[in-house]
Amino acid sequence: MVICFIALPILLILAIFSAEYRQLAKEAFDCVFRRATFRKCRTNFDQKVKSRLVGKVMTRSPALAGFVFKNFERLSWLFILLTIASVVIVGYGGYNYAKYGNCYGPESHDYCAFSGAEMSTVTNDYTGKLVQPTEGGDPAIGPTNASVLIIEFGCYMCSYTKEAEPIVKQLLEKYKGQIRYVYRDFPVTATHAESDWHSEAARCAGEQGKFWEYHDELFKMQETCLTVEQHVDFLKYIASQLELNTTKFNECVDSRKYMANVIQDREDGLKAGVDGTPYFFINNRTIVGPKKLAAFESVIDGELAKAENVGKAVATGAIVQK
Amino acid sequence: MNAEKLRNDFAVLWHRIKGKPIIYLDSACQSLRPRLVVDKMSQYYNEYPACGARSQHKLGKRVDEEVAKAREIARKFFGARNADEIVFTKNTTEGINLVANSLGLQKGDVVITTDKEHNSNLIPWQMLSQKTGIAHEIVEFGNVEALRDAVKRAGKKTKLVAMGQTSNLDGESIPAEEIIKIAHDNNALVLLDGAQSAPHKQIDLKKLDADFFVCSGHKMLGPSGTGILYGKQELLEKLQPFIVGGDTVVESTYKTAEFEKAPAKFEAGLQNYAGIVGLGEALSYLARIGMSEIEAHDYLLNKKITDAIGEMDGLHLLGPKDARQRGSIFSFNISGVEPNNVAIMLDESANVMVRSGAHCCHSWFNAHKMQGSVRASTYLYNTEEDVRVFIDELKKIAKFLR
Repeated sequence: MVICFIALPILLILAIFSAEYRQLAKEAFDCVFRRATFRKCRTNFDQKVKSRLVGKVMTRSPALAGFVFKNFERLSWLFILLTIASVVIVGYGGYNYAKYGNCYGPESHDYCAFSGAEMSTVTNDYTGKLVQPTEGGDPAIGPTNASVLIIEFGCYMCSYTKEAEPIVKQLLEKYKGQIRYVYRDFPVTATHAESDWHSEAARCAGEQGKFWEYHDELFKMQETCLTVEQHVDFLKYIASQLELNTTKFNECVDSRKYMANVIQDREDGLKAGVDGTPYFFINNRTIVGPKKLAAFESVIDGELAKAENVGKAVATGAIVQK
Repeated sequence: MNAEKLRNDFAVLWHRIKGKPIIYLDSACQSLRPRLVVDKMSQYYNEYPACGARSQHKLGKRVDEEVAKAREIARKFFGARNADEIVFTKNTTEGINLVANSLGLQKGDVVITTDKEHNSNLIPWQMLSQKTGIAHEIVEFGNVEALRDAVKRAGKKTKLVAMGQTSNLDGESIPAEEIIKIAHDNNALVLLDGAQSAPHKQIDLKKLDADFFVCSGHKMLGPSGTGILYGKQELLEKLQPFIVGGDTVVESTYKTAEFEKAPAKFEAGLQNYAGIVGLGEALSYLARIGMSEIEAHDYLLNKKITDAIGEMDGLHLLGPKDARQRGSIFSFNISGVEPNNVAIMLDESANVMVRSGAHCCHSWFNAHKMQGSVRASTYLYNTEEDVRVFIDELKKIAKFLR
């Protein structure tokens, strides 16, 4: 009897494409309708489905057919429960995807079938205890006493990191004065061999007070960067376009002045558990990949609310801050 | 008789379903049709699709000739004395109803049937019992003594003994000649339901001396919707027409009608001419093969089935154990598996097509507190290979599904 409830939607779909299933769909509907109104099913639909299924299995394996025949009711229930569970999981995933761009919520970086790969992946062989990253002296925007600290580990040659840039801009606009944003380097050299040069070049531009302009320009020119043969020359060209002192810039880049800093950033990222870019730490919560704005908002709002509650508690003396 | 060769005459058996041959074991419901029969029907529609018994033109005349030919073929096939004793009907059911409603049975008249009748030879008598007040007596199928007692009890009020010559439920046959003698000795008429006997054995109505005999064309290679009612001529002339209208009357006024003689007075309206000529072709086909050959073939196959699985654990055979006494029918149940499920599984796994359910014999199954049974019925186009597959599939069901 149970099988009618599952068979009906399946048969209805099949009946759209083939007349062979229409009579069965009618019988399933009659059965479901009668059962839903607490009456006995009169078409023996479940027996017919059982017999047809067992008959088909019989041609392959009589023993299996026997098992199915004897346990049909139990198997039907199992199938229904699995179907319901699948529908719930898919629905949950769909809801999360629509809202946060990930099937499992804003902070998950598990694979989501709806979106596919969302970050450049890196093999992280670090096996020690995870260490919460700090600003590391890297370029930042926002007040130092902001209750929400966002640290992004990114790669200038990673398309996903580029995809996250507009979202970061929106966050900086929306939460101006409430969040502090820090960009830390995590060049994915396994995929993009010259990406560490890009990170170093941005720091060289930072020496002349134009880190964020150079940072934005690198993402803007990313596609060209990916195709040019002479990377370093192109990095110097960008500097010239931004009216930097090219002599000073070129010397900085050529000498690899900031190589150690970039390596340090990457090391800190690995110790924090970064396994791809872009990787966001929002206080002690994480968002991986270029998620939708709503995903970031959900986490940031949560952290701001937490901070507000703590603040109120301190004000009332409920919590004594050290 | 070579069943392998005969199969070539049946177009449907050339087909395969999902790569497997069709194993048709439901001939007790309807038989398959040889191409000759289909061609004969097509010939009617293509060459002379006109009215019979009315029109004077060439096409109409040809219809009359072909129908007359078919009637003569039927006369010869059943051993009737003359062709006017052959009435074309649409099936056995119509034939029985015609007799029931034309015989002029009165309140208190006794009609005796058996406890294993098809609904077509049960319900008409129930209806008459309610409408007219006849007494409907039921005796055990094949029990001659019980019939003798019933006839003796009813005495002169016994008007009709109506029995299935061969049961469609389990293939068992009554000792027809003995029963007819008992009835005639008591001045009662006999109606034999030959739906299951006529396709499978030689019927000699003169020798049998049944007063009425009915059968279906579609169980004996004929077209769907065809049948024959045989009645002794003197009896047919006395019967009041049942369904009346065009063709049943010679003349009519606003108030009166002069009826035709038999068989015309029982063949109202335009007839199924394609069906009638097709039925004639089917009977010719059967006559060429020989009914005794067919009967022997049915027995051979039924014996194979019975020997292989008649005693199988979990299988309950209905009817006599001896295959000789079950004709072409093997009716059974498998404990723990409903008949409809067995039929569907046989169909699904190996294209073995059998009937399942109460076979329109609900009364018998109700009396025995059974849901129904699975019924396999063979015919001249079934082979030993068909039977082998059927046996193998049944063994699997009995072994793995119980």
